[in-house]
Amino acid sequence: MKTQNIGLLLLVAVLVVGSLLIGSRQEGAEFAGADGQAMETVAVLNPDYEPWFGFIWEPSPEIASGLFALQAALGAGVLGYYFGFRRGQARRRNRPDAGD
Amino acid sequence: MHITEGFLPPLHAAAWTVIALPFVVMSARRVHRLMHDQPQTKLLLAASGAFAFLLSALKLPSVTGSCSHATGTGLGAILFGPSVMALLGTLVLLFQTLLLAHGGITTLGANVFSMAIVGPWTAYAVLRGVQQLRAPLALSVFLAAMLGDWATYLTTAGQLALAFPDPASGIIGAFLKFAGVFAPTQLPLAVIEGLLTVVIVNFLREYSSDELQSLKFLPQTLATEIRS
Repeated sequence: MKTQNIGLLLLVAVLVVGSLLIGSRQEGAEFAGADGQAMETVAVLNPDYEPWFGFIWEPSPEIASGLFALQAALGAGVLGYYFGFRRGQARRRNRPDAGD
Repeated sequence: MHITEGFLPPLHAAAWTVIALPFVVMSARRVHRLMHDQPQTKLLLAASGAFAFLLSALKLPSVTGSCSHATGTGLGAILFGPSVMALLGTLVLLFQTLLLAHGGITTLGANVFSMAIVGPWTAYAVLRGVQQLRAPLALSVFLAAMLGDWATYLTTAGQLALAFPDPASGIIGAFLKFAGVFAPTQLPLAVIEGLLTVVIVNFLREYSSDELQSLKFLPQTLATEIRS
């Protein structure tokens, strides 16, 4: 399990860095969001379209980056708690005599 | 896959909301029943939601020189069945809409449909299909999560194409244009999502095998492989 997971995570790292390197060579590569590009495509297909509803609240880019980090931290925190908890349980189960 | 606030005409926005709503209601009921019948899986359900929360916050660079994110909804669909993810995905999208101005209230129904309904159901269908071919667990999980991610983005492309057909080539032409934005960008990201989902399932097999067996939504073949 351990070796396979380390290999998989290395592969993920290679894919991210590789995508970054290949992506930087593309013309006009700014790593803008694909969602935003799709909305630009809307403007190309239908130049008259006006969004009929705006954001109720829009954070400044700095605040938004913090909130994105908060979202990732909450996700990673819960995930880490779960596996830490289960790992401890599995350990205790496997070595009942070494317990407290 | 986030359609920005106001970027679907009112009729389309309303229609996707009406389509998504019953899935979310059914999902809430299913989660409620799950908590009642198998309270011991509460933490694993929270972890599955957390995985989607984490992955949809990380914007990754892609080969196209643009940026996008994975969805993380395949894991919960594989473990608990696709219906629970409608609720969890809606919570993720609501957080991003209300706090990050990412997505939108008017487009919530459409975004829920692509990320929290089509993605998980695709992942689950692929898992069942590949398991029929007696493929190894890791391969089935990888393909399920990867294709679920891709299906989500193609659904978004379809939703935008229906709302904004190309004046010359119609809905199909518009679909190809929107898919041309999403599909190449999502190619490496979907692979990453597949790999990370396998990592999590590997951890689960190591530390939570008893919990996995108690999930009746897990396909039988999968459960047997975990037991061995």
